[in-house]
Amino acid sequence: MISNLQKKLMNKEFVVTAECGPPRGANKRVIAEKIKLLNGHVAAVNVTDNQTAIVRMSSIAASAHLVAAGLEPVMQMVVRDRNRIAIQSDIMGAYSLGIRNILCLSGDHQKFGSQPDARNVFDIDSTNLIRTVRDMRETGCDMSGYTLDEAPAMFIGAAANPFADPFEYRVLRLAKKIEAGADFIQTQCIYNMDRFKEWIKRANDQGLTDKVYILGGVTPLRSAGMARYMKKRVAGMDIPDKVIARMEQVPKDKAALEGVQICLETIEELKGLKGVAGIHLMAIEWEEIVGTIVEQAGLKSTGLKRTEG
Amino acid sequence: MITGSQKPIQEIADLVAPYDRVLILGCGTCVKTCFAGGEDEVAVLASALRLYFKRTHKELAIDELTIERQCENEFIQEAAAKAGQNDAILSLACGAGVQALAKRFAKSPVLPGVNTTFIGIQASPGVFTEECSGCGNCGLAVFGGICPLTRCAKKLLNGPCGGSQQGKCEIDENTDCAWHLIIDRLTLLGQMDNLNVYIPPKNWATSLSGGPRKLIREDHII
Amino acid sequence: MSDNAQKPKITLFHCLNSFCETPALFEGCDANIVKMACSSMTRDIFLLRAFEAGADAVIVLVCKEEACRYAEGSIRAKKRVDYVKTILDDIGMDGERLAIFNTKATDSDAVREIIHTTLKKLDAIGLNPAVNYYN
Repeated sequence: MISNLQKKLMNKEFVVTAECGPPRGANKRVIAEKIKLLNGHVAAVNVTDNQTAIVRMSSIAASAHLVAAGLEPVMQMVVRDRNRIAIQSDIMGAYSLGIRNILCLSGDHQKFGSQPDARNVFDIDSTNLIRTVRDMRETGCDMSGYTLDEAPAMFIGAAANPFADPFEYRVLRLAKKIEAGADFIQTQCIYNMDRFKEWIKRANDQGLTDKVYILGGVTPLRSAGMARYMKKRVAGMDIPDKVIARMEQVPKDKAALEGVQICLETIEELKGLKGVAGIHLMAIEWEEIVGTIVEQAGLKSTGLKRTEG
Repeated sequence: MITGSQKPIQEIADLVAPYDRVLILGCGTCVKTCFAGGEDEVAVLASALRLYFKRTHKELAIDELTIERQCENEFIQEAAAKAGQNDAILSLACGAGVQALAKRFAKSPVLPGVNTTFIGIQASPGVFTEECSGCGNCGLAVFGGICPLTRCAKKLLNGPCGGSQQGKCEIDENTDCAWHLIIDRLTLLGQMDNLNVYIPPKNWATSLSGGPRKLIREDHII
Repeated sequence: MSDNAQKPKITLFHCLNSFCETPALFEGCDANIVKMACSSMTRDIFLLRAFEAGADAVIVLVCKEEACRYAEGSIRAKKRVDYVKTILDDIGMDGERLAIFNTKATDSDAVREIIHTTLKKLDAIGLNPAVNYYN
């Protein structure tokens, strides 16, 4: 039984995924609220894993809540907090709970989170994690070679950041992740379209986009302050000055609208780019806007097929 | 070399305060090189502590000695006499030296005056950087002589991560991204093919993770 | 209490080219003058031992950095003085007791002014707290 996300991608639909951050507490009603806002608009929803190293309800638990509510999760898993024993254990547990998509990540360093005094793990890296999940699916064995009592068959995702350095190496790294077993990629959010176009062109030229589904990351800006903050403080983010200027030039109460507008323009460009199989819409703590953007971008549910040539 | 920094003086003063006669024992090897516990540092610390205890009206006799190394009995035994004459030893050696003293002078309380930090080098006068984490199975040949387990904050073997920007690590703008350095170095050496190979998970059994390690060289044991 | 009649003790370290010893400059204090061949001879331990020996204030005179005959002497002296000042603060001795100045051997007026400033500072922060107590 393959995931809904995989099915739609195989069906050449221009797919939309969104994101959902679990609460800082055991309150599952918060998740129920977010599910209400997202359900029906997107193919699947990423559930973050102690993002920015701030302690939240676990990704596996929150993903299980999504499954129970009928909304398909992409369970994010970072290698910062778990060793290979816990990782393999959680993958099996996740699959048994009906989770079918996993996004394999390194994880933000704990220095900036809520527990900078914690000891990090990094027993294996994110590429090792991709390979591990693939091997569990393809060979039916765990990392020690033991034949599993029902192998988890996950649809495997990885992250890519066309805006990190060194730029020339970024496409090589993408190739390495695909080689390790990545089925789909979600990129860091795109504001610098020129740089993204250069990156996707290289990926196309190397035939990588025939081997993997790439979803372009987009995040609507809510304010000029948010844009400036992200530019300065978020690692791996590239926001050109002209985007900041657009946000600064509108009155404060119109800023969110402008942010949505910029987002829609980005989505429109992505729709026309060869190699882009869909978008990953990260409306951080602004889940209400997802439905609006999906509708205004003409991406409601089934229908739109992606660009081929 | 092993790097360390002297503990804050107030912390040291609190450690030695319960005693009447303290020996400050320095080490002439690693901690001398990083200015934490050599002869000069012993003298300065002794002087500072004398002033502190005079000011706070406490009678505390401070003795001073520096030996070549505190990790070998051959040198440790030179401190035996003074160890016996004092109530406690404040060692300015690395953690290994402190423990070696404690083994040898079992009846003397041995107090650490230095916070031992890392295995590293003196990159330039007065600047020391961490280079090796003692994993027990060195793969530096693959990485152009730059250790990703030590110098990459996430110990990535198939790096870099998405937080690498302008050659710097996401955790600190003053920290180089090790993977950026590795890529530059391998490019210079014409060995970028090293990175096209998938590097499997590290076997940590040879590191401290597998338990405290021991080296036995039969050919040197009589 | 005889302290009020006691003159403050000042130890003055100087490199050969930064100061020409003139006893008259030291009215109002008991001066202990230490000559150094080069300002790089300013070592942490000497500064601390001066305080152990009872100095209330320690002054270091060195040439201006550009004028240092041995290139880096003045710079090294400044770094070490700054380091010892933090030690003095950490042990409750007050780093203000120690100061470094750039002077020329030909300018005794500048030194007179430095002594004057130092004595005023001692009025404010008090004499060496590690020696002025009674058993």
